[in-house]
Amino acid sequence: MIRLPKLNVAVGLLLLSAGASLAQDRPSIVTVNYALQYFAERLVGDAAEVVFPVPQGVDPSFWRPSIADISEIQSADLILLNGAGFATWVDQVTLPRSKTVNTSAAIEEQFIVTESITHSHGDGGEHSHEGLATYIWLDPTLAVAQAEAIAAALDARQIAPLDVIGSELETLRADLIALDDEAKTALAAVQGVAIIATHPRYQYFARRYDLSMSSLEWEAGAIPTEVQLANLEVLVRDTGAQIMVWEAEPPIEAFEATAALGLRNVVFPPFANAVGDKNPLQTFSDAVSALSNAMAN
Amino acid sequence: MIRAAALACVLAAVPLWAAAHQMIVFASVDCEAVTVEAKFSNGNAVQQADVRVLDGANVLLTTVPIETDGTATVLLDSVDHSTGLVIEVDTGTHDNYWIVTPEDIAKNCQS
Repeated sequence: MIRLPKLNVAVGLLLLSAGASLAQDRPSIVTVNYALQYFAERLVGDAAEVVFPVPQGVDPSFWRPSIADISEIQSADLILLNGAGFATWVDQVTLPRSKTVNTSAAIEEQFIVTESITHSHGDGGEHSHEGLATYIWLDPTLAVAQAEAIAAALDARQIAPLDVIGSELETLRADLIALDDEAKTALAAVQGVAIIATHPRYQYFARRYDLSMSSLEWEAGAIPTEVQLANLEVLVRDTGAQIMVWEAEPPIEAFEATAALGLRNVVFPPFANAVGDKNPLQTFSDAVSALSNAMAN
Repeated sequence: MIRAAALACVLAAVPLWAAAHQMIVFASVDCEAVTVEAKFSNGNAVQQADVRVLDGANVLLTTVPIETDGTATVLLDSVDHSTGLVIEVDTGTHDNYWIVTPEDIAKNCQS
């Protein structure tokens, strides 16, 4: 048995305590999706704790927080919103205005308006609503704007001054631009090829790379029903689609069913949530390669 | 904004949330009451709805009808608000919620 001098144990305990205290004293940053969490972590390093509070497997667009979750979020030093209507919960709570930053405020003119949905209720008669596509970060050039907004917010709130995180911002910006260049090259062969996505997630991605993409409303990672497959068959016939993009890997039977319709399957997690150990840039790069390879094979 | 006609979404079925999220619910609180306001996104007041009040453990505390002007009042004395309150408004075809934390109540009571 090793005997440690009492003084060393005391010093060790003191250091441990100081470390725990330091961790607690770090500013806290809350984000509404994994992409923003990744950008903030890249910029701030260990200088702050970056929290994405949505549980794994829950769609952050429609997460319903508890009162305790909101109490935690309200106490954060910085709350990073995606904007474009992403994360419906942000409109159902009181968020401290001075700590809340919309990371897409500077790029609103580039938002994509989605199809309207017509319905009626009560005596109001039939009417329609328009929405916005929300997965802004899937266009790396818009992701750069979001990263810049985060850096400015960190600086303005004195969490991390720009002269300290400037190099991290430059590196992140360079990584995103490199990713954009990679995608432009790799996806050139896919332009003009009709693509169907299982969910309307990829509007900004499709616009950036001039892709022809239609969307379904299938549940992520689930086996499609017979009705869904019948509708897909019609859509494949109408569009001449050759590629099916899945936001999450479904059971093999689902892949087989769509392959039987002549579609090549590609999984492209849009990293609103973390998936496995890959960071968003790796996930994006892998998806671009998979799309490119789908046409090459 | 750029209208993405080329990116037409082909909806196999209208998702439930698409219809459900178009009612706006807002609640403000002072020392005495939570005032709930509900309207549709076209600006019309919600005239018929149940307002459910739940606590921090999602236990239903009370249900009150909404007034014809789209408002409802929940007296704080009438509910245990120590863990905060979730205000749910349900018209039968639309529903939405607002979360009032204990900190919201404390802060607005001090001001």
